[in-house]
Amino acid sequence: MKRLSATPWGVYSVWHRHAKVYQRTWLVNCLPPISEPIIYLIAFGFGLSPLVGEITYAGQQVSYLQFIAPAMIAIGVLFQSFFEGGYSSFIRLNFQKTWQALLTAPLSFIEVFLGDWFWAATKGMIAGGLTGLVAVIWGLYSPLNLLLSLPLMLLGSLLFGAMGLFTAGSVRQIDQIKIPIFLLIVPMFTLCGTYFPRETLPPFLHAIATVLPLSSLIDLLRWNLGLQPYWWLQLLWLIMLMLIFVSLAVRKIYPHLIK
Amino acid sequence: MLSFNSARTTATALIAYDLCKQYGEIPVVQDVSFTLNFGEVLGLLGPNGAGKTTIVGMLYGAVTPNRGFVQFGSIQVQSDGRTARSKMGIVTQEDNLDPDFSVFENLLHFAHHYHLVGKTARKRVGELLARVDLEEHAQKRVDELSGGMKRRLVLARALINHPQVVFLDEPTTGLDPDARQEFWKLVIDLKQQGCGVLLTTHYMDEAQRLCDRLLLLQQGQMIDQGTPIELIDRTIGKEVVEIEGVDEARLQALATQFDTWCRPFGSGYLLALPTIPTPLWDHLVATEPQRLTRRRANLEDVFLRLTGKVLE
Repeated sequence: MKRLSATPWGVYSVWHRHAKVYQRTWLVNCLPPISEPIIYLIAFGFGLSPLVGEITYAGQQVSYLQFIAPAMIAIGVLFQSFFEGGYSSFIRLNFQKTWQALLTAPLSFIEVFLGDWFWAATKGMIAGGLTGLVAVIWGLYSPLNLLLSLPLMLLGSLLFGAMGLFTAGSVRQIDQIKIPIFLLIVPMFTLCGTYFPRETLPPFLHAIATVLPLSSLIDLLRWNLGLQPYWWLQLLWLIMLMLIFVSLAVRKIYPHLIK
Repeated sequence: MLSFNSARTTATALIAYDLCKQYGEIPVVQDVSFTLNFGEVLGLLGPNGAGKTTIVGMLYGAVTPNRGFVQFGSIQVQSDGRTARSKMGIVTQEDNLDPDFSVFENLLHFAHHYHLVGKTARKRVGELLARVDLEEHAQKRVDELSGGMKRRLVLARALINHPQVVFLDEPTTGLDPDARQEFWKLVIDLKQQGCGVLLTTHYMDEAQRLCDRLLLLQQGQMIDQGTPIELIDRTIGKEVVEIEGVDEARLQALATQFDTWCRPFGSGYLLALPTIPTPLWDHLVATEPQRLTRRRANLEDVFLRLTGKVLE
């Protein structure tokens, strides 16, 4: 079925549409990913650093700011890609009917889907990249570290963008998007070793936190501080989750558009 | 059965054959076949829920039929909708203009999906804005436009690719009479340029004014087809009578006596006046009705005769 085929131009054309919308208000759009990590780094870094001092991570002592900087990159990736895939795609699907309009053009469903997904991932990359840049300027992450972390940020952006799209296709009302936010995003944000090592959690919570995808992404982004012994499993886990969620998202959104 | 109206056929643009669609156990479209020719306006006329939008969806691949197919030139839409849509223009019933963009940008960014970029795209957008008389509003946001302007913009968007066929799904619903007239002019232009136009509507005047041929639909089934004049002549005749304040049994008896028919209509009844002169009119006057109106038959009467229902 050609409706499931995709051409690079078709995917790019949909992505291009979203990028043009973003470009109109790029300053406003870029502000949160720049300001948020700075605020977090100032608040938690300066506020907690004197109390926490140094942290033992992967067998070595690191400063608290060095510890949380990669997590801030992951948080930027998580929030921006999930919210773009969730809220923005839901609005384009159900209120603006952008998807329906695009499907009156010579675009296949898969092209429209991929265009949206890749755009959600792009926003995750922008957020992660800008946060990383702040971390580099702060001296917490080397430019080389940031460069080599880009593939990981892309993987995280694709995963969380797919989770957002799955949410957009699953919920009936926009308020229902809050359910995965409260049940998944906020727990990930707080428990996945963002602000403290997961080892300090009780065993039960530690086990739950470890399987949440943000933990794997944060651990992998801290590769400059030392990798977990099972880092390759974490990488595979992220890839597998991404494939599962993107497949679920396609199955959920397709019936909205092709009756 | 697939039928061709050979008298008016210039060249067939599209064939819809034996289209059936059901959602769960509910049939929405049943056994609908028709052709659309270049340079004609084909109307799908029916009340809300008749299956018009579902049929249009099947024509461009947004709805997959349970049975049947749509052939557009050498392309079968159900297996290659993308290629088919590259030569089609589609105006959906819902307003799905891009609120993030200006009028000009709406067209410019849509042109991108057709590989139209740069100067070529800007030139084409300029032509289209002139054609739908929106040049002065090019920089406005979509939400600043009136309903009529929005519909014209959606039509302009559908014409970006110089389409061979255009589908207009209830394009003038909710528009004021002036805006409808302006939109009609654009449809007539398209027809004159050789474009095949398929128009769904539940407005009788729109169907009568614009359509060369009509398919009458009720509950997903095609109940008749023909030119507006053919349908009226064949089903009704030249004139009808609206009558109020007379017992139905008496009117039915008169209808039987003069070999015509009588249907409830509004607060009264509608009778067809036989083409051959009869004294029916005199008999109706003799019933001393509260109201008695003689007028030319129209498509609404056709629909009433065929379905027993008024088209709303």
